[in-house]
Amino acid sequence: MIAPAVSYRMAARMAARYDAIVIGGGHNGLVSAAYLARAGKKVLVLERRHVLGGAAVTEEVFPGFRVSVCSYVVSLLRPEIIRELDLPRHGLEILPLDGTFTPMPNGDHLWRMSDHARTRREIYRHSPVDAEAYDEYARAMVEMARFVKPILSMVPPDPFSYDVKGLGRLAGLGQRFRKLTRGQQHSLLQLMTMSAADLLDQWFETDVLKATMSASGIIGTFLGVRSPGTAYVLLHHYMGEIDGAFRSWGFSRGGTGAISLAIAGAAREAGVEIRTEASVARIKTRGGRVAGVVLPDGDEIDAGLVLSSVDPRITFQKLCEPGALPASFLEGVSRYKFRGSSGKVNLALDGLPNFTCLPGQGAHLRGAMSISPSVEYMERAYDDAKYGDFSRRPYVDIVIPSLTDPSVAPPGKHVLSCFVQYAPYKLREGTWDEKREAFGDTVIDTLAEYAPNLKQIILHRQVLTPLDMEREWSLSEGNIFQGELSLEQLFFLRPVPGWARYRTPLAGLYMCGSATHPGGGIMGAPGRLAALEVLKDVGHGGAR
Amino acid sequence: MKADVVVIGGGPNGLAAAALLAKGGLKPVVLERREVVGGAAVTEEFHPGFRASTVAHTAGPLRPSLVAALDLQRHGLEWTLPEPRVFAPHPDGRGLSLFGDPARSASELARFSAPDAARYPAFHASLGRLSAVLGRLLELTPPDVERPDLRDLFPLAGFGWALRRLGREDGQDLLRWGPMAVADYAQEWFETPLLAAVIAARGIQGMMAGPWSAGTTANLLLQAAAGEGNGAGSTVLVKGGLGALTSALASAARGFGAVVRTRASVERLLQRDGAVTGVVLAGGEEIEARAVAAAVDPQQALLRLLDPVALDPDDVQRVRNFRTAGMASKLNLALSGLPRFRAASDEASLRGRIHIGADIDTLERAFDDAKYGGISKRPYLDITIPTLSDPSLAPAGQHVMSVYVQYTPFKLKAGTWPERAGEVAYAVLALLEEYAPGVRSLVVGQQVLTPWHLETTYGTSGGHPSHGEPSLDQLFLARPFLGFGRYRTPVRGLYLCSAGTHPGGGVTGGPGMNAAREILHDLS
Repeated sequence: MIAPAVSYRMAARMAARYDAIVIGGGHNGLVSAAYLARAGKKVLVLERRHVLGGAAVTEEVFPGFRVSVCSYVVSLLRPEIIRELDLPRHGLEILPLDGTFTPMPNGDHLWRMSDHARTRREIYRHSPVDAEAYDEYARAMVEMARFVKPILSMVPPDPFSYDVKGLGRLAGLGQRFRKLTRGQQHSLLQLMTMSAADLLDQWFETDVLKATMSASGIIGTFLGVRSPGTAYVLLHHYMGEIDGAFRSWGFSRGGTGAISLAIAGAAREAGVEIRTEASVARIKTRGGRVAGVVLPDGDEIDAGLVLSSVDPRITFQKLCEPGALPASFLEGVSRYKFRGSSGKVNLALDGLPNFTCLPGQGAHLRGAMSISPSVEYMERAYDDAKYGDFSRRPYVDIVIPSLTDPSVAPPGKHVLSCFVQYAPYKLREGTWDEKREAFGDTVIDTLAEYAPNLKQIILHRQVLTPLDMEREWSLSEGNIFQGELSLEQLFFLRPVPGWARYRTPLAGLYMCGSATHPGGGIMGAPGRLAALEVLKDVGHGGAR
Repeated sequence: MKADVVVIGGGPNGLAAAALLAKGGLKPVVLERREVVGGAAVTEEFHPGFRASTVAHTAGPLRPSLVAALDLQRHGLEWTLPEPRVFAPHPDGRGLSLFGDPARSASELARFSAPDAARYPAFHASLGRLSAVLGRLLELTPPDVERPDLRDLFPLAGFGWALRRLGREDGQDLLRWGPMAVADYAQEWFETPLLAAVIAARGIQGMMAGPWSAGTTANLLLQAAAGEGNGAGSTVLVKGGLGALTSALASAARGFGAVVRTRASVERLLQRDGAVTGVVLAGGEEIEARAVAAAVDPQQALLRLLDPVALDPDDVQRVRNFRTAGMASKLNLALSGLPRFRAASDEASLRGRIHIGADIDTLERAFDDAKYGGISKRPYLDITIPTLSDPSLAPAGQHVMSVYVQYTPFKLKAGTWPERAGEVAYAVLALLEEYAPGVRSLVVGQQVLTPWHLETTYGTSGGHPSHGEPSLDQLFLARPFLGFGRYRTPVRGLYLCSAGTHPGGGVTGGPGMNAAREILHDLS
């Protein structure tokens, strides 16, 4: 058996042994690799870390506890990918995440379940009017989602090109818009432009309901629930319902890392070679086009195609040779906004949290638990971040995967994972290294206000700040979506206007990560669309 | 009494519409509830001997084609573009002035930052190019999405073509900037915090939004498009105050044969078999007309004057959801002398707008207070001292200071506006003292107009300066909302022509002008 380092050199010597090199072994990189390999390409995936998955990763952070360290729920994994890569056969198993439980300071709570009748009764308890509106709202949302969904599997057209096909797709969207009823057009227009809170104000009166629903609008953005542009994300929660393939939100058995491993399995089966602990130092260019990559030890691997699933800042400002790209493009890259705004706190527990407002170990612990008692609470959390502090009282989205998937923790013990917003990458004072634990304490204190026993049952805790996400997962400024999902960074504007079609000004270099349309979340769509665009350019079959 | 068209509300848009309808050969009657015409563009004596543009204090400016069509100079309209256009004192005693001439602004900026000075001409040029294209959009009637009509599509295609002719670079900027937070836009261009604030302020003016709210750049771009697209922003002062502008409009309207009545308050619309056939005045007088054009805000028109049973219940809901909560107040000060700004060497720099708001965070914090229903402790101020260019507004040697104050939310968390109006004056004067020590001692009289006053006295729902939030979801064909964005309503004979329709607020006459075009088309 030969040491990996040696095999690298061999690889280096055999020029053009690969058709394509994919930088980054996250879910998008792996999806791209799989699709390319299935089209007959010889593909190599290079992952810097010791594990695959990027931010969709399961790691044994504490002995016996397997934690979905970063991304913690499956949201919108595209059904066509599940189908085409036959992921269930490679071990993908989605376990339903049942409902959202919101404890309230006044001792009450809001608990929405997948059981529609019970949810209705629960909302009725808070407001009969809202119970009525809730169904209408869901109907409207599903209709809107049906309109928007195809966009997720669409290569963004370039409105300033003369590419007839693309413009045709744009016109097609216009046509479909015209075919909607005026009511639907009205709602859609509002969804694309309004703030989550303003939109929900039009539907509901129950503050805690609006706060919890609006939360999905701010995740991963540096926006508040009252910032225009946050309403659109509300749709995402209804996309799953029309996918039909599975519930829109859930856990994957074995943690989110298992998704990446399933995709990796499909990729390997298609002939993809995957290396971990293999970071890339530089993207090699020859004669104005990509020629391969250079490893830290100076070894080179040749390939005519390089797909980068890491974000644009790293790809174009760190990995590309200076002068390889036009200045105007680099200016666009430098304008692309990251602004990480969230952190993660992962806990190993010696038991289960006991909520004052709903004691016991009921089913409410199996779903998501949301610390979002009021719209004002959410907005004030944002105010702190605007001026460079982490929220004194943050929005926290909590899950206990070990209740649904006991395999991730020792018997009787549990894994509790908190998604926390806001934690701005740029702090006004001090550094994240100094403030990491203070941030962790704030989160624990916030939770303890609702579940006082929490502090006694913590065995271990892991606190991840935006700085940690940048260092460990190469997410610039710790943005979990590889760049803010704000209106001016979506669709044909993502990541750089004019370069939203996965290609780059450097021939042979492509983008395939969450920084491209349709963006972040464990969706896989960017990886798939990028691979399909590559194949359009170079055709199927191996290099000849 | 009979008329072809009854125009409800004698503000700039109502008068512009009436004048153009009359010029087009119809017989319009303008009905103004108050004793003076002008709506929010009026000159009133707010203190013995002191007159001011009590509400709006600068013109949009009026759309040039309107000024030409009505030959308003002949009717006494005189305006000035003061230099500097805007003066921004800094707490540290330095002052930043922007002029109509970009080169002059740039050399001024050099004192603050060489890179900013270098970028300013490009910024000015970019704004000019985008404004030229967006300007065409403002003159359009938004198209009918369901049944596109060639009459609308040709100009729209023209706009689309102009957009493409802008070229990839500008076109992409436009698409990227439109939905962006104005703080990002300003900082993409400039590093000097004060300059960024001066520019960002144009994005938040008249909006219940802070510089970090998405979509505020669109507000800045539309404002620029209405004006000359100057990097320094639009500052148009009218001789005699904005009342002179609206009386010029009124006299032009009369000249073309329109009837303009004041103290004529419309109580409700006459409705017969699904159509609006006229109006009923307080006191019972009825005026029959082929069409009624409401220059009052859409909620007044569709919820108060119209019997809502004429509307689809969903539309009634949409009118209610049209966001009209005001956020601005006016403080009009009668001063015994000219205040001395520490940052101003001479009075010359005070002739245009005076911007108070040192940096973007200051503006954002002012918004934070309002978000939760409070009055900004340190509000954003846009000030003019009209007496510097028009001494006739005050007794000799004395001055009028007209202060636009943001934020003062229509919906207060605690108390009512009549009780709390004084707090606005207090907060403003306390803030001004820092920039112009001694200004308080010059005050001989004052008038505070809060959103509540704007609603009760001037009749705009929620006291919103533009009859409705100019947010992305309430613009163009969605202003006031989809299906009502083409000046027509589903109720035959009823038209909307207020700032609550495209292209929105600012004293431009744009909505009135566009609406008049549609009414003339329908009636002839």
